[in-house]
Amino acid sequence: MASSSDQQRASYVYGILPEDIELGSDMTGVGDPPGRLRVVRSDDLAALVSDVDPARPLGSPDDLRAHKEILDASAAEVPVLPLRFGAVLASDDAVATELLQPFHDEFSAALEQLDGLAEYVVKGRYVGPRILEEVLSGNPQAQRLREEIRGQDADATRDLRIQLGEIISDAISAKREKDTRALQDLMADHCAASFEREPTHEDDAVHVAFLVETGQEQDMEKAVEALARKWEGHVELHVLGPMAAYDFVGTTQPGG
Amino acid sequence: MTTAVQPGGGNAARPSPSGLADVIDTILDKGLVIDAYVRVSLVGIELLTIDARVVVASVDTYLRFAEAVNRLDISQEKEGLPGLVGKLEEGGAKHKTKGAIEAAGDKLRDFAGDAKERAYSSRGRGGED
Repeated sequence: MASSSDQQRASYVYGILPEDIELGSDMTGVGDPPGRLRVVRSDDLAALVSDVDPARPLGSPDDLRAHKEILDASAAEVPVLPLRFGAVLASDDAVATELLQPFHDEFSAALEQLDGLAEYVVKGRYVGPRILEEVLSGNPQAQRLREEIRGQDADATRDLRIQLGEIISDAISAKREKDTRALQDLMADHCAASFEREPTHEDDAVHVAFLVETGQEQDMEKAVEALARKWEGHVELHVLGPMAAYDFVGTTQPGG
Repeated sequence: MTTAVQPGGGNAARPSPSGLADVIDTILDKGLVIDAYVRVSLVGIELLTIDARVVVASVDTYLRFAEAVNRLDISQEKEGLPGLVGKLEEGGAKHKTKGAIEAAGDKLRDFAGDAKERAYSSRGRGGED
């Protein structure tokens, strides 16, 4: 089906958007050298693509950033269905006939649902010494272990260290669950949907994606700021976004 | 290329641009997946992902936490513990030496006792020790 005239080029796909988008000039994408960004249109849908050489591997930090930046910049303007990193079709023709056309109805419906919404990720990390002190002060067993280990040879006290670490790990997990619930409760009025992400670090306090309506960003930010003040010294909070709705696409809706 | 991300006014809770780890968390296992695409090989990701994702509680994790507790002791020792020691003297030390910590300095031992004290008092004063 795809034209085989040019074996050296394939079309890397970033995401799917409504057809009526305009690209800024000179935008480049993944690859080395980076391919120029362009739009493949079919019916009322468009795909953002750029050329890649299928023989060359992708995945450098620049590639990863380019993928995300292009999608996030687009998402600030229009609804976008972000594709997972690494989607490549044989040609622009294939993008239209193998991607946009066969899944037209699903994509259209999903774009409609995402209209006016952007994703934000709230990420928080426990402040190192503070969280340990909190855990230790609330746990006599941990304190006892700490005393036994103190100043002792690391190998000789390996089992005790493991015990202590496990207590701390469990306590932080429990705290993480509680704090994540608190964040989600707080955000309930400010978001259309939320998705709890896996923690990415053992000190993670919260890691939740929120789908926020345009116009609600400030309320959302204020809510997070209030929480940041409340947790000051305990949790370092960050908001990432606006970004494409990575956490809210990808699972096929039954029925459509 | 410009993005719509606004770095905000230096406030911790304002939207901020993503670091590479955040990028990886977001685009490698989220987003739409399509079936019919040409596979290009992906490099470098394996390595990065191990660093940046997936928290599996393991012995290594536990040992790291224990080590962090250890460092906690060291940094507190450096700061000196005048406030804590003072408080301890007032409150009277009920600390019982367990025998395992002969080598530890008095200050540190006192601190452990004091930590216990604080834990009780935060529960409402009436420790039954």
